[in-house]
Amino acid sequence: MTGRIRSLQLRLTLELTALFVISSALALGGLIYNASLTADSLADRDLGLRAEDLAAHVVREDGGAPRLDLPPGLMQAYTTANAVFAVRDKEGRLIAASTPEFGSASARWPAGDGDPTYFQLSKWGTLGQDYAGLSVQTASAAGPISVAVAQRAGSDQLVHAILREFVIDTGWYVPPFAAITLLLAVYRVRRSLRPLRAASDRARHIGPEAISLRLPVTDVPAEALPLVTTVNRALDRLEQGFMVQRRFTADAAHQLRTPLAIITARLDTLPGNGQIEALREEVARMNRLVEQLLCVARLDSLALDVTQSVDLHPIAAEVVGSMAHLALAAGKSIALTGDERPVMIAGNAPAIADALRNLIENALAYTPAGTEVIVEVAADGTVSVSDSGPGVPAEDRLRIFDRFWRGQGSTRGGAGLGLPIVGEIVKAHGASVLVEDGAAQGARFTMRFALHRTVKANVTPARISPAV
Amino acid sequence: MRLLIVEDEDRLAGIVKAQMRAAGFVVDVAGSADDAVAVLEVTNYDAAVLDLGLPDRDGVSVLTAARGMGKTLPILILTARDAIEDRVAGLNAGADDYLTKPFAMAELIARVQALLRRPGGVLGITLEAGNLRLDTIGRELTIGSVPVRLSRQELAVIEQMMRRFGRIVPKAVLEEKLYGHDEEPESNTIPVHVHHLRRQMQGARASLTIHTVRGVGYILAEAPP
Repeated sequence: MTGRIRSLQLRLTLELTALFVISSALALGGLIYNASLTADSLADRDLGLRAEDLAAHVVREDGGAPRLDLPPGLMQAYTTANAVFAVRDKEGRLIAASTPEFGSASARWPAGDGDPTYFQLSKWGTLGQDYAGLSVQTASAAGPISVAVAQRAGSDQLVHAILREFVIDTGWYVPPFAAITLLLAVYRVRRSLRPLRAASDRARHIGPEAISLRLPVTDVPAEALPLVTTVNRALDRLEQGFMVQRRFTADAAHQLRTPLAIITARLDTLPGNGQIEALREEVARMNRLVEQLLCVARLDSLALDVTQSVDLHPIAAEVVGSMAHLALAAGKSIALTGDERPVMIAGNAPAIADALRNLIENALAYTPAGTEVIVEVAADGTVSVSDSGPGVPAEDRLRIFDRFWRGQGSTRGGAGLGLPIVGEIVKAHGASVLVEDGAAQGARFTMRFALHRTVKANVTPARISPAV
Repeated sequence: MRLLIVEDEDRLAGIVKAQMRAAGFVVDVAGSADDAVAVLEVTNYDAAVLDLGLPDRDGVSVLTAARGMGKTLPILILTARDAIEDRVAGLNAGADDYLTKPFAMAELIARVQALLRRPGGVLGITLEAGNLRLDTIGRELTIGSVPVRLSRQELAVIEQMMRRFGRIVPKAVLEEKLYGHDEEPESNTIPVHVHHLRRQMQGARASLTIHTVRGVGYILAEAPP
């Protein structure tokens, strides 16, 4: 680890959490601040209204002296000690006051012109309460007057309580909202990354065996799309190079065939002696190798038609028959056992013959002289080849059919192409091949094909040679 | 005997020509399908060896043309293993045998001779394999210089084995040759005949023996030393 957080998801979560904490704190702080400002201005407004209310009830007596004529209902509001008032004329003479104390006290805050004067009273009056008030000049029926109104500080508690409750309630919503938003973000990130995960799953399968696979681009987020398409284009170029390489191999093998045929023919014209025999054997091996290379190239380039209805038995009989002389020449023998009745499968007869030929070749290479290679066709659509050789180590059993795997041991008399060819042919058939220990000793290779259930009346002849 | 070799690869054609000459054939070489059809029209060959991969046209067209001219000469086609469908096509078009490239020269000579010995073929009536010699008219087998007395069925078996010397003879083919269509082959008579033949051959110091390829058939090949 470099100390940096590599996970987009984790980083996003952490950053969003931090953002939420900071923005919630700012929002709540601002809200509380504004709320208390509002509460204060609400109180101010209330006092102002009261003052105007009082002024509206100032009337001029017939004698010319202004008088406060407060309806009893309104008067009631000022009999409790919650609110107090004092009304003076423009000369400062007291017209009316809720209490005489406030009447005298209010003289301390003469109302200025225009803007009201604010004042506070600490531990004042009979109740020893804090009061906040204002005095303001205003017009009335009796001419300009000044009104001082004060309210017990506690009386706007309700407003503050409501605000506090509101803030706390709102505060409660913040953590769940934050959590939901985070979950949404994480979910979205996961969802958006899912196509990338699919792409990486696909990428895991891309290899020399499957070079034409490409990363899926459906649902890939636009931000990641350039990467995916660029990788795909890089894969295109790699595949092209790979194909050129394969074509080269095929061409080279094809070109080698004629000179090899000539060498073979020339060697045949020479009188046989030990040296010539050895050379002939080498050339035969080389011929076989070139053939296998061509087979591989063919499997790469052509789609195999595996839909023919073929009988495994005559294929096995032909291949075994054609290889009998090789077995005899090496002091070994070969036999075909099992079902002689038709075993119909869906496949490609020449390709199956090729696969079986390679399996038998492999078995003949490993089985000791004097032993027998047994080919068996079974009614369940399997063809197996058993030898008495050293067998195949358990850890290699899956890989020996892999074209790009090279075993530890040397491949006898071949380039190790035989079994991969078997693997490819079997794969093209959607069939399987496995190797296990033989009944007594050695290895037993089994190809399992899907039975052709509906045997058509007109069966493609699997026999590919005349009168064999 | 006159043989036509249709092969576009000069060096290979040259070697085959030399070898077939040494085996007693009079050999002409055609390097293209057109040439081959042209010479087939004017010359009566006893057999032809036809490469399918020709520069101008597919070798199968030569085959079709020859049969179209009413030529019944045996034709052996040469194919590459990777053109297995060609082989099937060739046989369907009227070829008598095939050999995959690359081939052993001895094998090619033996195959051509076998074709000529087929009923209606022009080659003599004596089959030879190792130190075995079979007179197909006189029905007599000699091993080395010793005549061997064989039953009718044993002679039929050894004849089939010698015609296909070095190659497998499927059981079914032997059954077909030994019994008429209305005769029900007895299941284990062929192994009995083969067993008897094998003992006779061993007794006469034959250089060859009949190997059993279980489940498939028999093959006449070198006896183990």
